[in-house]
Amino acid sequence: MVSVMNSIDTAHEDMIHDAQLDYYGTKLATCSSDRSVKVFDVKGGQQRLVTDLRGHEGPVWQLAWAHPMYGNLIASCGYDRKVIIWKETNGTWGKLYEYSNHDSSVNSVCFAPHELGLVLACGSSDGSVSILSSTGDGSWDAKKIKNAHTIGCNAVSWAPALSPNALFEQSGRPSLVKKLVSGGCDNLVKIWKEEEGEWIEDQKLEGHSDWVRDVAWAPSIGLPKSIIASCSQDCRVIIWTNDGTSNNWSSTVLNKFKDVVWHLSWSITGNILAVSGGDNKVSLWKETLEGQWVCISDVKQGQGQVTEGQSQASRNL
Amino acid sequence: MASQWGESVSIDYADLQANGMAVNCLGKWAVLAGRRVMALVDLDDPGEKIYRLTRQSKWDIGCIQWNPHASHAQLFATACTQRLDLYSWDEGTSKQVCSMKAHTRNISDIDWSPFDVNVIASCSVDAYTLLWDVRDPKRPTASFQSVCGASQVKWNKVTNNLFATAHEGEVRIWDPRKPNGPLVYMTAHLSKIHGLDWNPSKELIFATASQDCTVKFWDYLNWRQDKGMLKSGSPVWRARYTPFGDGLVTVVTSTLRRGEYSLFLWNNASLEQPVHQFVGHSDVVLEFQWRKKDDASKDYQLVTWSRDQNLKIWKVDQQLQRLCGHEIADSSENELSGAECSSTVKENGHDHPALSEVDDAKTGNQLDQTSHQQPMTLSQEFSLVNQQIPNVNIEKMDTQQRLCSVSASTGKHVIYLTIYFPTNYPHVAAPNFEIMSQTGLGSGVIKKLYKVLNETSQTCVKRNLNCLEPCIRQFATQFENMTLEERKTPDSDSFTPSTSKLTQSFMQQLPYAQFQDYSIPFPRTCGARFNSAGLLICFGRSKEASNRSEKTPKALSDLAVYSSTNRVRSSQSSSGFSTMFSRSPPTPKAEPVSISSYYIYKRPRTKSRTFRDKPEQKWNSFDKAMKKEKKIFKLEPVKIFDIHCLLNVHRELAENYRLDVDNINGMCEHNMKQAASVGRKDLVRLWSLIPITCSSVLKPSNNPDDGTPWAQQSFGRKMLESLIEYYKKIYDVQTLAMICCIFWDKKVLLSITQSQNMKKSPSKASLDYIPPNYNPYHTVSSMSGLLRSLTKALKEQKQQEPVDDTATIPEASSLSPPVNVTSPTNTSFFYRAMVKIRRTNSLSDFSFEDYKFEETDPKQKAEELERKQHENNCRLLDPSKYGQYDNFLKVYADILYRWGLANQCTEILKHVTLPPEPHAGIEFGVQCYNCRADVRGAKCGTCKMQAFNCVICHIGVRGASNFCLNCGHGGHTLHMKEWFKKEESCPTGCGCQCMKWNPF
Repeated sequence: MVSVMNSIDTAHEDMIHDAQLDYYGTKLATCSSDRSVKVFDVKGGQQRLVTDLRGHEGPVWQLAWAHPMYGNLIASCGYDRKVIIWKETNGTWGKLYEYSNHDSSVNSVCFAPHELGLVLACGSSDGSVSILSSTGDGSWDAKKIKNAHTIGCNAVSWAPALSPNALFEQSGRPSLVKKLVSGGCDNLVKIWKEEEGEWIEDQKLEGHSDWVRDVAWAPSIGLPKSIIASCSQDCRVIIWTNDGTSNNWSSTVLNKFKDVVWHLSWSITGNILAVSGGDNKVSLWKETLEGQWVCISDVKQGQGQVTEGQSQASRNL
Repeated sequence: MASQWGESVSIDYADLQANGMAVNCLGKWAVLAGRRVMALVDLDDPGEKIYRLTRQSKWDIGCIQWNPHASHAQLFATACTQRLDLYSWDEGTSKQVCSMKAHTRNISDIDWSPFDVNVIASCSVDAYTLLWDVRDPKRPTASFQSVCGASQVKWNKVTNNLFATAHEGEVRIWDPRKPNGPLVYMTAHLSKIHGLDWNPSKELIFATASQDCTVKFWDYLNWRQDKGMLKSGSPVWRARYTPFGDGLVTVVTSTLRRGEYSLFLWNNASLEQPVHQFVGHSDVVLEFQWRKKDDASKDYQLVTWSRDQNLKIWKVDQQLQRLCGHEIADSSENELSGAECSSTVKENGHDHPALSEVDDAKTGNQLDQTSHQQPMTLSQEFSLVNQQIPNVNIEKMDTQQRLCSVSASTGKHVIYLTIYFPTNYPHVAAPNFEIMSQTGLGSGVIKKLYKVLNETSQTCVKRNLNCLEPCIRQFATQFENMTLEERKTPDSDSFTPSTSKLTQSFMQQLPYAQFQDYSIPFPRTCGARFNSAGLLICFGRSKEASNRSEKTPKALSDLAVYSSTNRVRSSQSSSGFSTMFSRSPPTPKAEPVSISSYYIYKRPRTKSRTFRDKPEQKWNSFDKAMKKEKKIFKLEPVKIFDIHCLLNVHRELAENYRLDVDNINGMCEHNMKQAASVGRKDLVRLWSLIPITCSSVLKPSNNPDDGTPWAQQSFGRKMLESLIEYYKKIYDVQTLAMICCIFWDKKVLLSITQSQNMKKSPSKASLDYIPPNYNPYHTVSSMSGLLRSLTKALKEQKQQEPVDDTATIPEASSLSPPVNVTSPTNTSFFYRAMVKIRRTNSLSDFSFEDYKFEETDPKQKAEELERKQHENNCRLLDPSKYGQYDNFLKVYADILYRWGLANQCTEILKHVTLPPEPHAGIEFGVQCYNCRADVRGAKCGTCKMQAFNCVICHIGVRGASNFCLNCGHGGHTLHMKEWFKKEESCPTGCGCQCMKWNPF
């Protein structure tokens, strides 16, 4: 059922901290403690190193691909307090823009939904979140949410731009949502929205008892419901849901793991959540029709095997 | 042998594999201690005179020290495992004097008494500190017990009968006459103390260097509070006082930032920044000691030995000594400048490190070397300037006129710099600068460059140093940065180069700061990401590194602490010689502390247990294991999983589904088969249900009075809604989209909303409306905004994948650069193209959009409304939820597009109710040619004439037209084309250079 399509030996000299495929699933970007960002062509099961991007002066923590309508763009951030945007032009990769206005390690980068333009959010250990937007003529505007999280911001994630609330508008165009969620060392998950060009705090979600390591806003398939997943040093993953009618968020603890949980990722339709953490394991979670979260598989690193538990049962068709 | 700059010496002794070094008190001999060989190097002629004494031992020498008394300068002691050996060295011959053995475990440190030639102290992991009289080597003269092992033992340098030992984070101070207990027992650090050193001139003062990235100064009588603290970026391995002034030399252990192998020189009076950095070693510095050639010489030399097996001798001249607060009674002039110098350094405390480290360590090295030098003459300096600075061309260097001219270029900017050197440069006067640019560089940039140059030269000249090369380098880098910023962020104020420069120089100055890392989370070393559609990427640690029982640390700063404690544990669990108590920093061989090392330590530790009885062998194997590990350390490959099966969106179905609203039965039959082939029984049922629901028998009648339409029955809309509800729950966006495509007709909604809009605000509705033959006469509104949006639109359009939009292609070509006059028709087409970019047939929309402008009287309107209401009721899907249906379609289309199924994607997008956000910004206001009224459309509403006249044939334009964006004149496309084939300026003679002004 679940099969390995491709296995790429990255030849990084140190730990890999992030790996991401582009929109079409044909290019893989990886970043590592060896300060490099590598791009591989993985089309059709092959693996070919396209480029080895050097420019960071410390470990590179995270990557983000932009929507292909803006070209082949990768944003990377790292310990050296820099955010670098790399671009492919005529087959060669180069540095498009470098943002170095953070005072500490930049831990997270995330491109906004393409409907909002070419916009990038960065969360840094200096506690701030930067929102960089391309003005279209090669320059970038930077807005900063200062002291978004005291001590440090660890993760940022954008809300889908398709507004679930558009359903209730009888006429006119659905307005686009411009919101993002961030998690930080103050154990909080915060939702930010832009109003009249200023980023203001929309919601503060309390639930974790230790640093929030990652947040992920689930993609929407057009339901009024908004879902955010957050994971923390306290080993728990919390699913936050908003029914779209009020501003209340209810929380459910997905699971308490044995070790720190540091990464979350939603599938494209937003029904499966991949959870990974310090124990070097990946597990996939799915909500049943009854609203229960069940683990449907475990991907153990170093073995490359996927054990599929209840995936058949949970499909339940 | 590589001798650089006359005084700074570097010699490679790769064959020795020594990990200890000691310089004798006369500064004549250095002994390098390796496992197989001890080498004695004559420091006056280090390359040539070297004597090797082979050792027959399997053990490394842990500590080595010469007798500090000139009368016994030939003696040196070594500690190897539990044993102390005393050797005597006489020019070319050596003999072992005696051997002292009483410790039960490895000796971690030894120290000769500075007051008694025969006394030596040794401390060990076995928790005892012993004093020996070398005349009676059989047993120690005194022993001092503590609870845990000591890592350092150091005699006070000022008074007799006082020594200190360091145990983890604690310091004990002893009087050898009182062996029962320490005089002082204090906690100095919360982390382990690596190094301890007494102040050479003040009796009570000592310094401790610790893992917690600080050096603390203590007065042992007031030991509750430290006297000062030096914050380093990394754990400090050693901190020792300088023999001159009030300075300190520190060696840090390497952290995440690889390659920080410098020694730092500090002035104890200002501890914010080091006053000097000795750059050059390519691996951990194991030992450093001072020597002085002879008493007459004022210069000191710092002798350093590193794991890169290089012995380096650094000259520390009076300049540097002054920086450490050392006042030399010399000629009065010198004295003055010295005092001035040190005070300015204090003032500048923060600024001055910015001068050097321009771009990389190499530069740092070069600068460093120059700073060793006495100021050179100008011609010397010219000859030594590196000509290979990137982007910089040195045009002229004239020692007669004392000037140097340089040009630098980045991108299109070229800038010329002329530097004039006053006669008393570099002693008092800084050079003067003159910047010229012919490429219209902003005055702001030039001003900033002047500022940078002046700062750089001032800081150098204040220390009587040459500044040509630093200036040129600073100039080039700053110039590049500024023009880069100018190019990229012209209006961002937060980006002042001064701040970025400051942070950058700070970054380069200090190694990656561990004490700041407490808030940086421990990085992810594995993870999984859903990307694209139906793919999951997993990356992680290899199997060897994955089975850890301990919990992963929280912050990055834990890493350094962890790796050291881990080693402590390993050392104590086995009897082997441990890195912790060795005299070298706790970094594994050639492997600085990194995230991967955190995961890898465990293995050698468990492995080593088998060698418990043979510690040496074990250590050997550890080394080997480390080396092997490094080679083996291969990352787990990144894996891409195909998880399509977990999604309820099937790729096969996406490829094979047929969407044909005109032949519902055929389509359903086909799709049913497809669904059956992938095993979706629920979909098979669904597809068999659809033709029944769509049966023509159930078609609603047009008359509202004919009874409740089928859609309002329970098997109508209600059933569909429950189906949709179900598929929503299982996130089957594919099925949802298909249902919407079949049962939802966007035209209905549009007509409803339009009638509503007509009622509410006709003007709002008209915003969406641009008739195909809409001709402005004069362009109004902001031209720049318009141009920008056009360029943007063009760009975006180029970036869009071609989606077979039949309407887009001709417009795109008409907008291509050669046609400089853009017709409003084209732009409106273009606008439409943007709107309908994903549709195959945008023309179909014109009909109903035009229709909303039909005039209707109120009575008709009411009837219309009722009819609409009825039609609404006849629909199987609730029209009020169209936004949701659109979202299903868009999400599904996006997935299709990711899979490269562009045709299917377009098919789906045809059914989206609302076209994407209209392209904002392009709106041409028109002034009627006849009556000057503002007009939208081809005909003027007031005078009913064609609003836009062709400037060539003076006939109203109905069809395609082009006009100049600058002057607003234009006309029939053909006419304009013909005119601009030959002409540049506007045909009306208004003087506008239409071809120049229009970007297209």
